[in-house]
Amino acid sequence: MKFFTKRLAALLLLAGLTGLTGCNKPAEPLSTGSGNQTSGRKELTIAFLPKSKGNAYFVSCAKGAQRAADELGDKLIIDGPTDPDPARQNEIVENWITLGVNVIAASCENKEGISTALRKAQAKGIKVVTYDADALPDARSFFMNQATPQGIGDALMDEAARLCESNGEFAVITGSLTAGNQVAWRSYVEERRAAAYPNMKCDAVEACDDLKDKAQSETTALLSTYPDLKLVLSTTSLGVPGAAEAIKQAGKTGAVKNIGLGLPNENKRYVHDGVTQSVILWKTADLGYLTVYAADALAKGALKPGDKTFKAGSLGEFQVQGDNIMLGKPFTFNKDNIDLFDF
Amino acid sequence: MDTDKHGFKTVLLRHETILFAVLAAEWIFFDAIGQNFGTYDNTCDILRHSCEIGLLALAMTPIILTGGIDLSVGSLLGLCAILFGKFWRDAGMPVPLAAACTIGVGALAGGLNASLIAWLRLPPLIVTLGTFSLFRGLAEAITHGVDTFTDFPASFLFLGQERWLGIPAQALVFIAAAIFFWLLVHRTTFGRSFRAIGFSPEGARYAGIPVGRRVAMVYVLAGIISAIAAIIYTARLGQAKADAGTGYELFAITAVVLGGTSIFGGVGSIHGTLLGVAAIAVLHSGIAHALLPGEMAGMLTGVLLILALAGSILPKTISDLRARKAALKIPKQTA
Repeated sequence: MKFFTKRLAALLLLAGLTGLTGCNKPAEPLSTGSGNQTSGRKELTIAFLPKSKGNAYFVSCAKGAQRAADELGDKLIIDGPTDPDPARQNEIVENWITLGVNVIAASCENKEGISTALRKAQAKGIKVVTYDADALPDARSFFMNQATPQGIGDALMDEAARLCESNGEFAVITGSLTAGNQVAWRSYVEERRAAAYPNMKCDAVEACDDLKDKAQSETTALLSTYPDLKLVLSTTSLGVPGAAEAIKQAGKTGAVKNIGLGLPNENKRYVHDGVTQSVILWKTADLGYLTVYAADALAKGALKPGDKTFKAGSLGEFQVQGDNIMLGKPFTFNKDNIDLFDF
Repeated sequence: MDTDKHGFKTVLLRHETILFAVLAAEWIFFDAIGQNFGTYDNTCDILRHSCEIGLLALAMTPIILTGGIDLSVGSLLGLCAILFGKFWRDAGMPVPLAAACTIGVGALAGGLNASLIAWLRLPPLIVTLGTFSLFRGLAEAITHGVDTFTDFPASFLFLGQERWLGIPAQALVFIAAAIFFWLLVHRTTFGRSFRAIGFSPEGARYAGIPVGRRVAMVYVLAGIISAIAAIIYTARLGQAKADAGTGYELFAITAVVLGGTSIFGGVGSIHGTLLGVAAIAVLHSGIAHALLPGEMAGMLTGVLLILALAGSILPKTISDLRARKAALKIPKQTA
């Protein structure tokens, strides 16, 4: 009896497994059938992958993506990891492959890891674009480049010069002295200063280790070391509110200007209080919008390697540099427009 | 004693039958509403995605049978993944040697857990909570959190990404491990001693079971299996990073408990664990293919766990209630 029951359980399991593997149905493409075909256009299924699902930055990207998909009449699937498992993005992409989507648009958490899955998608005839954070070049056709280091450096320095009327001393708060993107942004800030604003002087560069508290204490030290300081420029998002808090507590609101790269939401309060003048980033919704337009055009053959420009709906023309589609100049959030953005 | 054991046994069987029915229902449901769910390609993907967690769950089953727990398996997977990368890239070892060394490290790490639990008699929950942080911390320290190992040879990536004889290559490792653990737990005296220890470690000791050695064995095995899972994980993703396998210990424990193994030890089975792993994996894939939001997978896993446990306990509770009622009636009739 004992043997019998155990064997029965094992047999059931085996039957289950063979049953599962036996279901060998041919895969159907997802978009055929009840699609909106009256207009004569083919409805595409575009899968949109953020780095993480609840993140406000990606939520606003996804809003732009959805708007584009509605305009194009495409079906948009948005899914992303909700837990910190780095394999999750791969699993999502692999599920989309068997699901039979037409295009995958991904922001990549683990460049090398996800490229494995994206290459597999390409091998199955699925088009792949990336946005925000690129995959390896052979794993996608185009990358939506939201900002070049030069674009960011120029925008930061131009805004600093505008606020200081091209004259005076400023200091830089950086995320780290060694991180690649931080180094690149700082060097373009300096290049722009040397070329266009020779009357401005950078007193110091301090690292805040991407900590708000440290940005605050470094700024406090800078304010007392350099009494003629006119502006603090942060090349890291946590630097901006940190520096703002230091300026506010030192009673130098307005006298010392504060700008930097950052997200609108974490700076709104300081911008309205007049402590922070400008926050620079790109319009995330536009990034999502451009991504879906490019995904659609790529699948329909309207976007090809070698194109020099690309037209994305109501946003108009974008420059294409090699296999990068450039979102264009960074956007400046200030007192007048910051409340229009929520990320 | 004999009747008691028999009672447990029927409950156990019922639980697995229920779970199998749940699994079949899941399959039929998602096949009906999901797009391309029941295809062969997707079945292979489900297998591929559940291999690492499945391996960890297999190793976790004997541990939980002895009344223990191992929270460090996910962290150890991360540590082994980056050490495998180090051995291969920085030490210049060929892949098979690097894999062998990694498994050695896994055994050592499991040995650390084992010696603290079996010989120092520290509670497994606390010990493995410590090594959970220790192993992940080591992985992050070695790579400074940023170093990523990649560009592995295609012959190695085959293990994680290709099919051999029509089934995913890593599934063969998984099947071999499943057979090994099934035989260990259900066909050897080791398995019986795990259950005995789970019911009562002191009783087992008096019965002449070398409790320390048996307990040490299951933790060392878990270390070895974590290392094997790390190698498969690296082959599947084509990269090894310090955050590999984050949270896998909880998925593994969920699968084991869903499979009917009592968290207090003494009761459980390997085939139950396999069904638990399958039920969770099918749920995850099904939700993606039905275009439902991914968060639902976590939610439904919770519901599944509660339903399956309630479902297996309900018949026993009802029969207990009936017995109590009958017991109450008897004095009435006599009075």
